[in-house]
Order: sequence, then structure tokens, then C-alpha cells
Amino acid sequence: MSTIRLRSPAAFWLALPAGLWMALAVVLPVLLIVWVSLWGGTSVSPNNPITFDNYQRFLSNQNYLWLIGDTLVQTAMIMAITGVLGYCIAYFLTVKVASPGWRVALFLAFVIPFWTSTLIRAIAFVPFLGVNGLLNQALMAIGLIERPIQAFLYSRLGISMAQVSLYTLLASGPVVYMLNSIPPALREAAMTLKAPPIIVFWRIILPLTLPGIVIGQVLVFLNVLADFITVTTVGGNKLAFLGNLILLFYEGSQIRATAVVSVLLMLLMLAGVTLALRVVDIRKIGG
Amino acid sequence: MTLADVPVIPQLDLELRHIRKRYGDFVAVNDVSLQVGKGQFICLLGPSGCGKTTTLRCVAGLEEPDAGDILIGGREVTGEPPWKRDIAMMFQDFALFPHMTVAKQVGFGLEMLKKPKAQIAARVAEVLKAFEIGHLAERRPAQLSGGQKQRVALARAMVTEPRILLLDEPIGALDYSLRETVMLELKTLQKRSGISFIWVTHDQNEAFSLGDHVVVMNHARIEQQGRPDEVLSRPRTAFVAGFIQGNNVLEGKAGLVRDGVLEVMTALGTFRVPLLDLAPPAAGSALSFSVRAERLIERPGEDVPNRIALRCITVEYFGAFRRHVLEGAGGTVVKYDQFGALPQSIREGENIVLGWSLDNGVLHRAPPA
Amino acid sequence: MHWKTRSRLTGWLLGTVTIGFLLFQWAPMFTMFTLSFSGENGGTTFPMNGVSLHWYRNLWEADLFDDFKPPMLRSFLLALACSATTVVLSVCAAQAMRGRFRGNGLYFYLLLLGLMAPGILVGFGFAILTRLLGIEGAWNTTAYVVHVSWALPFGFLTMLAVFNRFDPKLEEAALTLGATRLTAFRRITWPLILPGVIGTALFGFSLSYDEYARTLFTSGSDGTLPLAVMAQLDRQLTPELYAIGTATTAMSLIVISLCAIGFWLRARALRGSPT
Repeated sequence: MSTIRLRSPAAFWLALPAGLWMALAVVLPVLLIVWVSLWGGTSVSPNNPITFDNYQRFLSNQNYLWLIGDTLVQTAMIMAITGVLGYCIAYFLTVKVASPGWRVALFLAFVIPFWTSTLIRAIAFVPFLGVNGLLNQALMAIGLIERPIQAFLYSRLGISMAQVSLYTLLASGPVVYMLNSIPPALREAAMTLKAPPIIVFWRIILPLTLPGIVIGQVLVFLNVLADFITVTTVGGNKLAFLGNLILLFYEGSQIRATAVVSVLLMLLMLAGVTLALRVVDIRKIGG
Repeated sequence: MTLADVPVIPQLDLELRHIRKRYGDFVAVNDVSLQVGKGQFICLLGPSGCGKTTTLRCVAGLEEPDAGDILIGGREVTGEPPWKRDIAMMFQDFALFPHMTVAKQVGFGLEMLKKPKAQIAARVAEVLKAFEIGHLAERRPAQLSGGQKQRVALARAMVTEPRILLLDEPIGALDYSLRETVMLELKTLQKRSGISFIWVTHDQNEAFSLGDHVVVMNHARIEQQGRPDEVLSRPRTAFVAGFIQGNNVLEGKAGLVRDGVLEVMTALGTFRVPLLDLAPPAAGSALSFSVRAERLIERPGEDVPNRIALRCITVEYFGAFRRHVLEGAGGTVVKYDQFGALPQSIREGENIVLGWSLDNGVLHRAPPA
Repeated sequence: MHWKTRSRLTGWLLGTVTIGFLLFQWAPMFTMFTLSFSGENGGTTFPMNGVSLHWYRNLWEADLFDDFKPPMLRSFLLALACSATTVVLSVCAAQAMRGRFRGNGLYFYLLLLGLMAPGILVGFGFAILTRLLGIEGAWNTTAYVVHVSWALPFGFLTMLAVFNRFDPKLEEAALTLGATRLTAFRRITWPLILPGVIGTALFGFSLSYDEYARTLFTSGSDGTLPLAVMAQLDRQLTPELYAIGTATTAMSLIVISLCAIGFWLRARALRGSPT
């Protein structure tokens, strides 16, 4: 008994607006992309014949295949870095910081930037990484380098640094959640069963946080794969990943090519998420 | 001196020497010393926050004492980590590893000892059978009932045959109906295995029915330790007397001593309490003594030295006895328990005189807090 | 070496990594904050050539071409509308989920889809949809629809979590005291879920206010602030962009801290003081 009856029509009607909204604004558009990617002809009209020509044309271009591969390599690299970094930070914040005050303060310092605009944060990397930027100044000040490093900005290095900064929280957040849900007694039980800390970590903590790691990796995967903002801001349009290609085709009014790349992006994402679900059952989280 | 002349000291399973532990300003364990002989069943009893769990965790190595020594099997282990101590521990909520099957779980301790795989499998099967949980071997903790979890936790702790098993409120998470059976099983298991059990609980029924030796703690200190019947019949402090059910604790001032009997002046009157092994207190000093509620006598004769005039407030029925709550001079409340399903002899609102014989008064060592 | 000492060593190691990352995360933003106050002859990088509010003044007095005020206003209004819609829809959807209507499992995934689908795909797809329907995109129509679809899953999950922690016995108590379902919701449920509702509203606002990809495809000729910022970045990076970034970041920090203080005061009031 609550303010809503089980299986009542009222529940259905309450659910309807949000469901319709999502169907109209997300599901239908995504299906349309698939359809458009199969259009023959040249006009924008529902009467175009269905064909796989667009895919054939796109996939026969060696450069585009390279770009897909390149995007995947970049994504895998960022996943690896944010994964390790995010786990270390999550472990430190939840397990190692003893004082609750410090934990909250550090956690806020970690999370607050996430509440601000990604675009602004990406732009902020330009003066940070530039020739006279803070990073070069700092490195020169501590004597690590003699001359400013040009290659920070408008390079893959710069893009990667910005992406790591932007997406580590995504990798870390679910791990924090999982670590918090492990009762301290489990760790202690393992220790009284003769397991030294490193074994406790491998046999108890790591397996129990695995769902968090996987979810974090999925989030980073989805975001880096479709990322184009960091590339345009920090990369200065010198480099392109899949997301940039979509934008490029769209701005060139090549709607079919845009759709093709979009569908490929979607497929990659689907493949990634399916793979992740095989590793771990997301529905089990919290159970 | 030849070897044969060396006196054989029975080796202790556990010895605590003056353990102290504080968290900031809070003293959790204060000067706790304890000796546990071979294969003993020890119960640490006390209210929550009394330091019993911290003491246990110090033995396990999960907490590091600020001062004092811990010896397990005669070997100093104070600075050693939990995984190097000859102990096992059972946790309050069992702390089963949610991602491991029962068999994996029980074999974990053996795996840590780097036993060969075949040997582990054989030993695990044997232990599961002994605990009657063989059919659960492939289940995970989420698929177990409370009683099954308890058995798995116990099997996991016992599989390596440690010298000492530490149990932190081990049946607190079980249904009431299960507790008595489990207690009985554990007691039998302890006797048979010869492993020392150190059992932490706030439940005096558990402590007095299980322990060979009961340690009552309060405010980080040991108040009293001894055989269960000793502690029950002779509480040595006002706290222990009050903590054990069915005691009337009376506070007063010391009077004269005659023939090993002390006069105590209280709000209810002056009573005569035997000194026994205690030194006579200075006249006028504050002290307390206790009388068990079932040792009171209704309408005592002139030969009974201690008598009080009281008014009965309520009569309550418990399972095995009838409790009378009575009020005396100055609002002091006295309990009187009547066993044996006798007909009710005191009505509510009735005025009555109760008394007790000299040897039923138990004088406390420490002055009341 | 006591074993806890070694454990403290890993602590220090991980702590160094964490602090290092936090510095790395905040340093670019601080660079931007600092440079937004550079002098009139200051550029987009060091040295600052003085300290002034010049770039903020420039923003305020800008002429037609690089005037950020109209897009900022549009962004603000759009975010408000998106926030309000998200609150209504997600409270309804989460409340409906409690009713376990037929197909609620599928419904859950439908709403989650908006979280997984990248903005660039949703935006592009929606642009196709409007084009096929012959609708002209605008910030307050098409962009609004897409923005809500972005914020809705966040709001929905927040409200689900809130309802999960909510004790239905409280509602039952109200109902047994003679309240109708609607009254019970209004008088009991609503005040208790209010912090979650405010959280949802914040999500709705900030997700819309900061959204770039979805807006790019759907807002038509009059863009929002992120579009204007990106357009300016395409033309030339100027300290004015730093000023905008600093101002918006400061704004969101202020709003977040106000809400945090509000929650804290509420929690304290609920705990109650004996006096």
C-alpha cells in the first residue's frame, strides 16, 4: 500500500509522458539514423531506395578504417589510464583516508569539476598546456625541462591529458560505490584466515569491485568513443576521431555518410557494452 | 638443576598482560589482563562499548594495543599481523565472502596455508560433512539461510584447526528459536576439538551457560572474572551485581564490624552483611552490597537479622517466576522473585515485611560508582 | 615494521597519486580563472600584463557580433524549462515505477538509453527527424525536446534512488489516518522527497546549460551559450572566453554550495535541537 496502487492504470498513465518523450527524442532518431544510412539516391526524402552502398563506399576507404582503428586505440588507452588512476583514487578516498572531514573535502575536490561545463574545462586546457602555459612554466620551474614543450597543445598528448582529466571520475565513481558497499569485516575475516593484505586485495576486494570497474570502463568507453569536443578544443582540429568525422560529414551536408559513421559508432558501442555485460551482470549491483 | 627439575607449567593458550587501547580521548581497553588455559571456553561479557570487542580484536591482531603484551601459545605476538597468529575468528554478521561458494569459502584458510589442492578438497569435504552442510557446497552466501550462514562461518574458521577461536557475538544475528540449539552444538564442538573459544557477548544467559570462565567488563576494565557460579553467587562490584539479572543492589555507609559482620546503614534501614575475605572498610565510607531477588523471605521471623518494611507496587509474571516490585523508605525499589508456581501471596498495594538471612548478603569490593 | 605501517605506506603512495590528479584536474581551471583577470594587453596565455576586470567589462559591453548576452539568456531560459520539465517527468516516472505497471522493466531500459546514447547521435538523429517532418529547429522547441531527453534519465535515476530509500510505511500511516492517495502524496511523500527533487532540478538545469553536442544539431540559427563559445573559439581564442568560463563555473559552484547548505540546514532541522 502506498500512494500508488500496484499495477493500477494510474501507474501506466504516469509513466507514459516520460516514455513517449524518450521514444520520440532518443529511440526514433536513432532508428532514423540507421534508416538514413541505408538510403540510396541523393535527396532527403523517405522514398529513397534501400542499399548498402553507403557502407561499402565508406569502408573501402583505407583512411576511414585507420581512423576507426585510431579512435579505438585512443579509447582503449584512455580506458586503461583512467581505470588504474580511478581505482587508485577511489581506493584512497574510501579506504585509506581515515578522517571523515578530509574524505568529504577530497571527494568534493574530485567531484565538483564534474558539475561544470565539459566544454569550459576542455578550453581551460589550452592556456594550461600552451607554450607559455602553466604546465610548461611549472616543469621549467622545477628544472625538469629547459625549453617549453610545444607538443602539449594541439597534439594527441594534449588531448589525452584533457580526456584523462575529464573522464577519470567516470571510471572512479562506480568503484567508490562498490568499495563503500564492502563491509570492513570481510577484509578482516580474510586476514584472520591467514591472508596477507595483497592477497586480501586480489582475492576479496578486487573481485567484489569488479562490477564497479566494468561500469566505469563502459562509461569511459562510451564517452571517449563519441568525444569530439576535446579534439576540437585541445586538439585544434589537427586530429580527428570518429566523433569529429560525424561532425565533418554533417557540416558538409553529407547526411548519408554522417549516418553511416553514426551507425558504426553505435555498433562499436553496442559491442563494447555487450562484452562488458558478459563480464559482469550489472543488475546484480547492490544485491 | 637438571631438565627433570624444571617445573612443568601448563602452557597457556592465551595470555593478555595489561592491555591498553585508546582512540583519541576515548579509552577502549584499560589495563586488561587475562589468562586462558588449554582448551578453555571464555566468555567476555558486558554492555555495548565496554571494550570486550576491542579486546577480542587486539587478540586477533586487527587492533594494535597501545600498551601491554599478547601471548598466544606462550609466544609473544603483540606486533604480529592477524595472518601470522594462530587464531581464527567468527564475525557478528559472519562476514562470508559474497563472491565465493561455500566450498571455496571454507577452503580459503587452507589455500592461504598453501596446502596442495587435493588435500584442500578432501579436508573441505570432510569439514562440510561434519557440519552437515555438504549439500550447500556449491551455493553462495546470498542463497543461504541465517543458520546455514552461521555453520559456514564456523566451518570456515575451524577448518585450519587454530589454537584459539575468537567469536564476536556469533549467534547475535540468529533467530531466537535457533540460538539455544546452536549454543549447545558449539559447546559440544568446543569440548571435542580442544580449541580455546573466546566468546564475546552482551547476553548473560549465553555467557553463564557456555563459559568455563566468565569475564565481566565495564568501562574498558575487567570488573570481575571467574567460574560462572562464582560470579553469579558472589558479584564483587555493584556493576556486576546490577548487570546480572535478579539482584537487589543497595547502597549505604559502613558501620561497625562485629564477628566478621559489617553493619551497613542505608535509606531502607541498617543491615548486617558478612565481610568474608574483604578487609573491614573505614566507618562511614560509601559502599554497596547485593541480595538476590529470590533469596528474600516473606514475613520473616525474629531470627532473621535483615528486615525491611515495603509496599508492593506491581506483580509481574515471567515464564518461570513471579516478580514483585516493592517500594521502601525514600522510594528505594526492591525486587522479590518467587519461583515454583506458588499461589500469589502478596497483592498489589499491600504492605509487607521482607527479610534475608545473614549469608545471603554479598558485600561489594569497590565502592559504588 | 608493524603491518599497519606498511599499509600506511601504500596509503601515502595512493594519496600522492590522488593529490597529483586533483592538482592536475584543477590546474587548468585555475589557469583559466587567473587569466580571465589579465590586463587589457593580456592575451590568452601568460604573462598577464596586469590585473583587471577588462574582459568581464568587454563581455558586458560587447557589440552585436560577439555579444554573448543573448545566447546566455537563451541558455538560461532553456535550462530553466528543461529543469522544470525534467522534475515533473522524472517524479511521475519514478512514482509510476513504484506501481510496477506491466512492462516496467523495459521502461527502465528505455529511460536508461538516453544516458548511454551519445549526444552526437541523438542530436544528429533528431535533426533528421525534424528535417523529414519539415520542422525548423530552434533553441526553444527542438533543442528543448532533446535537452529534456538528456536530463530525464539522470532525474529518473535520482528519483528512483530517493523512492528506494523512502519508507512506504509513512504513506500507509497517512492513508490509515484517512488521507486520500493524492493528499498523502502532497502532504507526506512530497516533503520527504523534496531534497531529491531539488537535486533533479539541479541536474536538469546544469545538464541543459552545459550541453553542446545535442544543441549543435537542433538549435537552428539562434544558438545557446556553449555554441557561441565554440564559435568564438573557432574564430579566435580570447580572454573573454576565460571570463565566460570563470563566470559560469563560479555560478554553478555558488548554486551547488547554496543547495548543499540548504540540505545541511534541513537535515539539522529534522534532527531537531532539544531547545
